[in-house]
Amino acid sequence: MKKISISKLLSSLLLAAGLLSIQANAFDLGKALEDAAKKEIEKAKIGGEEPTPEPEPVAAPAPVIAPASPANPAAAPVAAAELAQPAQPEFNWKNPSKEEEIALGREITGSLLGAAPLVKDEALQKYVNQVGRWVANQSERADLPWKFGVIDSADLNAFAAPGGYVLLTKGLYQKIQSEAQLAGVLGHEIAHIVKKHQLKVLQKQQLLGYGASRLSGLFGKKDKLAKKALNTGAEISARGLDKDAEFEADRMGLTLAYRAGYDAYGLPDVLQTIGQTNKSDSSVALLFKTHPSPDERLAKLGDSIGDKLDNAKAGKTLEKRLYKLN
Amino acid sequence: MKTTLKSLLLIGLASPILGLSAESGTALKMDSLRAEPFVDAKTVGSINKNDSVSILTKKGAWLQVKSKSSTGWVRLLSVKRGGVSTSGNSISDVASGRTGTGKVISTTGIRGLSAEELKAAKFNEDEMKKMESYTLSPNDGQKFAGAGGLSATSMSYLKGAQQ
Repeated sequence: MKKISISKLLSSLLLAAGLLSIQANAFDLGKALEDAAKKEIEKAKIGGEEPTPEPEPVAAPAPVIAPASPANPAAAPVAAAELAQPAQPEFNWKNPSKEEEIALGREITGSLLGAAPLVKDEALQKYVNQVGRWVANQSERADLPWKFGVIDSADLNAFAAPGGYVLLTKGLYQKIQSEAQLAGVLGHEIAHIVKKHQLKVLQKQQLLGYGASRLSGLFGKKDKLAKKALNTGAEISARGLDKDAEFEADRMGLTLAYRAGYDAYGLPDVLQTIGQTNKSDSSVALLFKTHPSPDERLAKLGDSIGDKLDNAKAGKTLEKRLYKLN
Repeated sequence: MKTTLKSLLLIGLASPILGLSAESGTALKMDSLRAEPFVDAKTVGSINKNDSVSILTKKGAWLQVKSKSSTGWVRLLSVKRGGVSTSGNSISDVASGRTGTGKVISTTGIRGLSAEELKAAKFNEDEMKKMESYTLSPNDGQKFAGAGGLSATSMSYLKGAQQ
């Protein structure tokens, strides 16, 4: 089952992270992880919300991961020559297929949505998908089934996951003043996906040697594994990418928005706004933890732009078309 | 008449800077101040990183700023806008420190996105399905662009600057 393999790999990633961050005893990984998770849950005290440390044994909704090929991989023995779509249940970390990338992104995004659901405003979600789809059309990966969403959080942040999933928070959306600014923000996230930044980080972790096959034996039942993975997919988004990946996404995001016909300065405008937010404000805690400072990003962007936009055709800002939240 | 009003309103929206007599800013890097908003205009001065400036106006990708010693045009991205203190941000940053004197956003009833909360997050299939239901085709995007008068322009990706 492909589902298991995705879940398994996420579990192993989590284990890898656990190893790195809490220096768990190699013989008691599961316990250490459990303890760490409990600690985290206790820490997460947000008004009103009472996190349940032990989730009920209700089956986690099984994600429907579209199989890459109609053939059932579990049933038929597969010829070795069929390289494009290996039927083995293991995730192909070396060279994940588009379908595997999407399946991985779905797990991560679904967990993010578990942390904060979509804003209940269909027109808003539709609008963001329209802008995002058009900007993504300007990239090398227009073939991905791009999906965008605004999540109900007062934080200022945006997230990208492999395969074309992009989320931004309501808090960030409310800071945005024009469609060009929105295009710039979405362009930055689209760039992460086009360049497979997150995927590369995940691949690297696999190469550290904590692969699924090695660690699966240390853990218990498969359903438990799957559940654990489902519960923790979003954790990956709490870890930052390296600075260069962020700078690259800024440069590409600006370019993508400009290619789409927007004013090129939408993204820098938003960086200016973010830079004016009090650094100690909790709404930017994760953003500032996982990204270089807005000042640094602006300066880098400025260096890259140089005089390149001096004679460029002016793009549109489209303030009026920006969907206003109630 | 109506159009004039509308466009005035638009200008106001597009460049909030214009409405203010002088917004403060901080130089993000060393740069030249020029007599006009063009790269080949005469140099009339310079700013150093972390210099405080007053932002007088904005024109395209340029800001007209007033530094201690001179007034001139500088590229938009060389200056960080805003800042409450005119003597730079370092003092206020230290003052606010970890205790945080800034505004407090009420988080009642809103789940957060801290690293801890993301770790504890559970997959939400219903929300995922909802998100998937909004997926658009490349052609949908194209139509939306057309409706807004947007047309695609070619431009190669910006390269990372040296060093």
